Amino acid sequence: MSKELIRLSDCVMSYGDDIVLDHINLYINDKEFLTLLGPSGCGKTTTLRIIGGFLSPTSGDVLFDGQRINDVPPHKRLVNTVFQRYALFPHLNVFENVAFGLRMGQTVLDKDGGRHKEKVPEDEIRARVLEMLEIVNLKGYEKRPVTALSGGQQQRVAIARALVNRPKVLLLDEPLGALDMRLRKDMQQELKRIQQEMEITFVYVTHDQEEALAMSDTVVVMDGGRIQQIGTPEDIYNEPRNAFVADFIGESNIIDGVMCADGVVEIFNRKFQCLDGGFEKDEAVDVVIRPEDVDIVPEDRGQLKGTVTAVTFKGVHYDTIVDFYGFKWLIQTTDFCPVGSHIGIKIDPDGFHVMKKSKYSGMFGDYSSYSEEYDELDEEAADGDEE
Amino acid sequence: MRKQRRAGGRALIGLVFLFLYLPIFLLIFFSFNAGDSSAVWQGFSLKWYGELFHNRLVIESVATTLLVSLLATLISTVAGTFAAIGIYSLSRKWRDPILVVNDIPMMNADIVTGVSLCLFFVAFFNGWGGFARWFNGVQSAVELPTRLTLGLGTLLIAHVCFNIPYVILNVAPKLRQMDRNLVDAAQDLGCTWMQAFWKVILPEIKPGIVSGALIAFTMSVDDFVISYFTAGSSTQTLAMTIYGMTKKRVTPVINAVSTLMFLAVLIILVINNIREAHQAKIAAKRASFEPVRQPRWVEQAREWLGTRRGRAFRRAAALAACVAFVVTVVSLTAFTTSQPVVNVCSWGEYIDEDLIDEFEEATGIRVNYQTTDSNETMYSLLENGGADYDVVVPSDYMISQLIEEDMLEELDYSQIPNFSQIDDRFKNLPYDPENKYTVPYTWGTVGIIYNTTMVDEEIDSWSCLYDDKYAGQVLLINNSRDALGIALMYLGYSVNTTDEAEIREAYALIEDAARRGVYQGKVMDEVFQTMEGGNAAIATYYAGDYLVMLENNEDLAFVVPKEGSNWFVDAMCVLKDAPHFDNAMKWINFLASKECNLRNMDYIWYASPNKEALEEYPAWYEEQYEEELDPEIYEIMAAPDEVLDRCEMYVCLPQETRKLYNDLWIQLGID
Repeated sequence: MSKELIRLSDCVMSYGDDIVLDHINLYINDKEFLTLLGPSGCGKTTTLRIIGGFLSPTSGDVLFDGQRINDVPPHKRLVNTVFQRYALFPHLNVFENVAFGLRMGQTVLDKDGGRHKEKVPEDEIRARVLEMLEIVNLKGYEKRPVTALSGGQQQRVAIARALVNRPKVLLLDEPLGALDMRLRKDMQQELKRIQQEMEITFVYVTHDQEEALAMSDTVVVMDGGRIQQIGTPEDIYNEPRNAFVADFIGESNIIDGVMCADGVVEIFNRKFQCLDGGFEKDEAVDVVIRPEDVDIVPEDRGQLKGTVTAVTFKGVHYDTIVDFYGFKWLIQTTDFCPVGSHIGIKIDPDGFHVMKKSKYSGMFGDYSSYSEEYDELDEEAADGDEE
Repeated sequence: MRKQRRAGGRALIGLVFLFLYLPIFLLIFFSFNAGDSSAVWQGFSLKWYGELFHNRLVIESVATTLLVSLLATLISTVAGTFAAIGIYSLSRKWRDPILVVNDIPMMNADIVTGVSLCLFFVAFFNGWGGFARWFNGVQSAVELPTRLTLGLGTLLIAHVCFNIPYVILNVAPKLRQMDRNLVDAAQDLGCTWMQAFWKVILPEIKPGIVSGALIAFTMSVDDFVISYFTAGSSTQTLAMTIYGMTKKRVTPVINAVSTLMFLAVLIILVINNIREAHQAKIAAKRASFEPVRQPRWVEQAREWLGTRRGRAFRRAAALAACVAFVVTVVSLTAFTTSQPVVNVCSWGEYIDEDLIDEFEEATGIRVNYQTTDSNETMYSLLENGGADYDVVVPSDYMISQLIEEDMLEELDYSQIPNFSQIDDRFKNLPYDPENKYTVPYTWGTVGIIYNTTMVDEEIDSWSCLYDDKYAGQVLLINNSRDALGIALMYLGYSVNTTDEAEIREAYALIEDAARRGVYQGKVMDEVFQTMEGGNAAIATYYAGDYLVMLENNEDLAFVVPKEGSNWFVDAMCVLKDAPHFDNAMKWINFLASKECNLRNMDYIWYASPNKEALEEYPAWYEEQYEEELDPEIYEIMAAPDEVLDRCEMYVCLPQETRKLYNDLWIQLGID
């Protein structure tokens, strides 16, 4: 990829004894779409606010283009933000909202590293605002009061308002959180299109893993103020580093296992072939088996045998809960198996993903009390109170 | 059944509103009365409003009120708004307790706020005096004033203090409603914090600021109690002036002032309510994503204001508003604090007010004319500090007390040539044996005023004051010296006795009568209203005041009882360290002139110490009114020698006797 634009170097954020960010190291490349993903309270919004300049880290450095910007106030950074619930100015109409940043003048970097504001002529403001409104499909809405717009339209105004300043980086703080499912999917496409068209770095905060996977070049999974894993969406999904990541990204059955040798993993006292290696002999490990990697076969031909305890129809597939020796697995399959039926399963070697034990071991991946993993509404409400 | 109940409920509500508003409507109604009664309609007239605008006390206090309210509103709105923003940027842990603390002063009794501020100021002034003397001693470059007093400054500080919580209370909800990210968003888009404040926070919380300012303004205009304690002696707000007026007769001028005040406050409240209703409508529409539609002309006006010309117009309008505000404040300040001045403290209705205007016109000295209602009240005002009078007009015995306590300044008689016109009878009296401190202003006697329609005998003795026959019909004079003095005279003792047993006997006489319910109440200037309205049969008061009452109620009679009475002299003195000594001399000389004495006599009906004025008054009266002055009236006013012979003048009592008077008076405690 291209050159590095932003770097957080050993950033710590704490309020008294409360450590919100715990030694974060992260770099963001130019024109990259990077997503900070994690549950509420994981520190993702704090990280974003540090980049935006609303917070200053307790220790550590924030670098922009190699220059330390810890003490540069938000209004002098070449960064703009799309806020949660948009934060449009209710007393201004669409045009004036978008023009707001330009009227304040454009921040220009001096050769000696200083920054100053340059006034933007009224003609240029007009042209740029109209152009931006066209990009976000709001042509003709200039004179509407923002309070008279729908949620999706307000969202577009917020994006236009930030982008019209031609920032190097656009920060987006759960921008789609308040939209309904359909609109959200459309806007994901839209954002991706805008990002590619304008060739701007996006730093995107979300707790929605699907959104993260669908849009990002790079995903940063965070929990408890620490980065758990950084990687492409495929890496994160296929090679989760620990039980937390495995569980947070998609559905996972996580089973205690023992690595007998490279390529051989033992679960439920049975040895299976896998593709992983590089562990000590007989090291205890966490084994991830994605629900879609399990094939259901007749009982007598299965590598493991179990009993179906619950079935939920999900449209494309069935969520089938199967009891193996007292441990409940989630299996996603297009075959319908009635509750109480005895089945066998088969897993290919690439269906296993072996991880080192971590502090998250044993906390996730059991479907004994299967229900919806989390309630999105609750999550959003909790997120709102985060600050 | 149910219908009946509903009708009953409606009637009840009707009654409630009737009780609430009837008095106000009556007040407004009678402010247009041609006569001076507050009960009998005598035809429509605007004369009380006309009189109002010629009443200098009212005009001055309106100016003071406006000045203080405008400045206090401005300061407290700015301070309160920033305070509210500060409070809102705190964490919830701190914010909520602070908001509770903010609410307390609003619920606190005004009197507590007023007294505590007053004590605080006085304590500060004392400390300041010491500091300033020390500071002036160690250097000579800057001369600090050593004597600070309550006045416009303290009044303003007090108003700012009690207004700030109201502003915070109004601004806080708007901040709570505001999306906190708005400020971040503005900063993100290139604003500094201050720019974000002007461009984003201010437009969002403007409705709260405006209603906070309006409420602060109404509270300021409305306030009486706190102002009373912090305005000092030479500053009066409108509410204080109205209160001062009610202590005398309630004239329809008060109705007129009150009507205007009521209307002013009403208009502000109505504006505020309309604004709030409008805001609520917009907020509701916003919440439901409904477009907020303004009337066409509003839209057009908005659009025009957005153009370059419109912006220029807005700037010009804002500038004009600022200039208007500054000009108003400056001219009000000039009006209320213009130099030179003389601060005068006298009794209510004790001067023909036209004389004040004439003096001001002739000399260019502004007269700050305040009143109090008894020597004892005035004394405690002086003693507690915080009074910055130049000229006071105490009675004889109080003068000797003030001289004894070194509170008076010697006069410069070379600046008071009119002193020579004072009758020698009134010079070198016991209270000022060498006549170094005083110029007599009036003299008179104390006597019984009674209503001939309510009393069926010719009264000639103090005994009626202690008689069960008049239970509930007698007004006891509300100062210890006069009340106990009368009892002493009735018992045949000297009014100046220091014998504790005699004084206690006199006290027992009053207390016994009080226990038997003879007294309707203790009054000073309220006596005018009560006696004129025929609401009491008997009172003791001063001869001159009787004659004023007689003008309004012909059934009243006056007698100096056979046991004898007190005769008194009220004289003009200047307080030690008076800030405007020379102006005070001019004022005293002016009032000592024959012309002033004649006109004062005519106006207040108290006898003049000016020899020629007193002698010529009947002739002057005839010339003025083309009718003869009733000799009986003249005799009551200027008591002849045979009456004066049985009267005694008060002398200053020793400290322990004064304390005894005071203690006994507090012990009596009837209202």
